Amino acid sequence: MSKMGLRMTRAEKKIDKKQIVHPFDLSIEPGEVVALCGGNGAGKSTILRMIVGILQPSAGSIELNGLNWKEQRVEYLEQIGYMPDHFQFAAGLTARETLSFYASLRGVPKAKVDDALHAVGLYDARDKRVTQFSKGMQQRLLFAQAIIAHPSLVVLDEPTNGLDPYWMDAFVDLVKGLKAAGQSVIFTTHQLQVADAAADRAIFLMNGQIVESGTIEEFRTRYGALGLHGAFSELSSRPTRPVATPDPGSPSSSPLSDKPGKVAVKIKGRSDD
Amino acid sequence: MGFRNPWSYSFLALFTLFTLALMVIQSRSYLEGYTYTTGTMLTLVLYLLPLMTILLSSFSLTAEKEEGSWQLLSTYALTTSSFLLGKYFGQALVLIAIVCFGYGLSGVIGALLGAGFSFSTLLFLLSFSICLILMFLGIAMLIGALSKNRWQALTWGVSVWFFLILAWPTLLISALSFVPYTWIKPVLQVATILNPAELVRLFSVISLGGGSIFGPEYYKWVNWFDSPFGVVGFITLCFIWISLMLLLAAFVWERGRRHE
Repeated sequence: MSKMGLRMTRAEKKIDKKQIVHPFDLSIEPGEVVALCGGNGAGKSTILRMIVGILQPSAGSIELNGLNWKEQRVEYLEQIGYMPDHFQFAAGLTARETLSFYASLRGVPKAKVDDALHAVGLYDARDKRVTQFSKGMQQRLLFAQAIIAHPSLVVLDEPTNGLDPYWMDAFVDLVKGLKAAGQSVIFTTHQLQVADAAADRAIFLMNGQIVESGTIEEFRTRYGALGLHGAFSELSSRPTRPVATPDPGSPSSSPLSDKPGKVAVKIKGRSDD
Repeated sequence: MGFRNPWSYSFLALFTLFTLALMVIQSRSYLEGYTYTTGTMLTLVLYLLPLMTILLSSFSLTAEKEEGSWQLLSTYALTTSSFLLGKYFGQALVLIAIVCFGYGLSGVIGALLGAGFSFSTLLFLLSFSICLILMFLGIAMLIGALSKNRWQALTWGVSVWFFLILAWPTLLISALSFVPYTWIKPVLQVATILNPAELVRLFSVISLGGGSIFGPEYYKWVNWFDSPFGVVGFITLCFIWISLMLLLAAFVWERGRRHE
């Protein structure tokens, strides 16, 4: 198996003995875009926080391009760009100053700051104080911060929150641009139309467990024109049916898809699916 | 970024007013070296500056946690120690700029009115203030690392300030009444190292030639600070104190990071 891309193996998160995220496997290939979908408290953001090193997994391993998150932390983090869900920018700084600060931490030349501001449509507002920005503008600046160093994995937590429809479409184009450049993207969203338009693959979570996973095409095949919306409606109306971590060697474990490198999440005890 | 913080300007205004008040006190004194007036000024600076340093700097750290910026910074290839050192030096720069402005303005106004501080007094007050800032910044970093939010930092900060500045003499006298007479001197000497405000005050007063006011219990300190190694020894003690606080802060911060 290629060492490039993200590999999460039997990763899980417990806080005070409470299982926040059940053990799961997840692989993301270079240039692949994955959407994590699900309701509030499903565990989407927890998975992202484990990937970017904010939360430590209670068990399991995480590797990015062959780098272990714990043993090669600095090199591992250098490969990641992260956009958090909740964030308050420092008071008094302009958009350009804010982005220059984060660029300097990544060792990115200041000349790239204006390019990133152009990409997210904030160049004309570059000298405005960030605290005067609308939620959507702040989201775009955070997005620029995540992509400015051209990381191999871009991790976005609810990136389209507060964006108007125009910037929602622009976000999809930006993600497609990252994919074309060979960068992997994983993002969480409540907006299934965004996942449908931007992602190659979607993963549904409920109560910290992966309940459905597949390529967007597979969802369309399974649920017809409704696609991800159809999957969400069905999942919401039935009891949790987890797609748990496979038992190594278990005969009942089988991949959802046989496309190599596309789906690494396996179903245990549901060989009929 | 500290220069863009509105709180910095509130403290700047407060400290400037404060130094102007000190100038009025000084205008009644015509003696050089350590006098009653100098002592009063040192005590007043001692009340205000540590509190200002602790609050401004510990809030700066807790704000990083509350506003999510630390969460984002922790996804960068940034070590805890470099983050805390950056905060320490950044805050030191802001606070030193505030005291320089305050003393500078009162110096200019005093010179214009012909009743201000002498240059040597201003320089002495500035050095005393910078020492206090650097020492209490170490404490502020530890408080900021320990606290989850601004309220906790405020509670910790005011408690530490109250203990080290206001309650210290009373507590020390009470504690010393329980120890055998022969232990009083060594206990006092050790206790002085434990309180940065006391250490800086002692060094400053002794440097001005006022060591005799401390009495025979502090004889060793007076002799030591007056010796050729006094300044080097004082700087070394300050350095050890600050390093210890920063190491503790880094340990606490890193522990919080790993336990998430």
